[in-house]
Amino acid sequence: MRAAEARPAGRLRRGLTEPLLPFAALAVLAVAAAAADQVVLCWASVGALAGYSLSGSV
Amino acid sequence: MLFSPGWRAPVRQDQVLAVFSLGLLLGGSLSATVLWLLSGLAAPLPEAVRTGAILAVGVLGVLREAGWVRVPMPQNARQIPQEVLRSRVRRGALQFGFELGTGVRTFVSASAPYVVALGLLLAHQSAATTILTGTGFGVGRAVTGTIRYASRHDEWDDRRVTRMPLLTNAIGVTVLVSLALLLLR
Repeated sequence: MRAAEARPAGRLRRGLTEPLLPFAALAVLAVAAAAADQVVLCWASVGALAGYSLSGSV
Repeated sequence: MLFSPGWRAPVRQDQVLAVFSLGLLLGGSLSATVLWLLSGLAAPLPEAVRTGAILAVGVLGVLREAGWVRVPMPQNARQIPQEVLRSRVRRGALQFGFELGTGVRTFVSASAPYVVALGLLLAHQSAATTILTGTGFGVGRAVTGTIRYASRHDEWDDRRVTRMPLLTNAIGVTVLVSLALLLLR
């Protein structure tokens, strides 16, 4: 049996864990919150984007 | 590699991810609390001046990320020592997450965290807004570990490295656009 790390990731898992996906979701949230004048949500989303910009390997 | 598929420690990896993420949220919230206390110093400045300064910093962040200007940023140019994970894995993961979450204990390679931190300093938002922004910073950092764990494959690191230039540039622009929309209304 091959080790887990040697198996290719499934297409669905690979798509759902695409590194650009969290950015897209947070970007939509931040801009929509800003447009709707939702101050707390906008700042929190912008904070999350800033955190995600440091996507180091952990 | 804390969340790689080759995990061999006698502690469940999802538990480590949970306490690591908790540490990130706590660290981000603590740093934001300090920023909120300091933001009172900017309160006497006229709102237009503060807004202009925030957006100017945002533009500078975009230009720096694109490589068009070189602005050295203060950072703690050290890695968090791996020893924090060696003795007690759960407690070590909590400490490791906390230190990463504060944003002041290790490298800060992207411009967006500086833009947001200076934005919070200058905007002097409510305590709840400022602290939740710090919590959001921790959430953003925790997303990386979570999707890295969920990917169950080391190949994810290659994808992350490939996407990083696009990600940091796009995040810089999004932060600027969002803050401009919010502050100029």
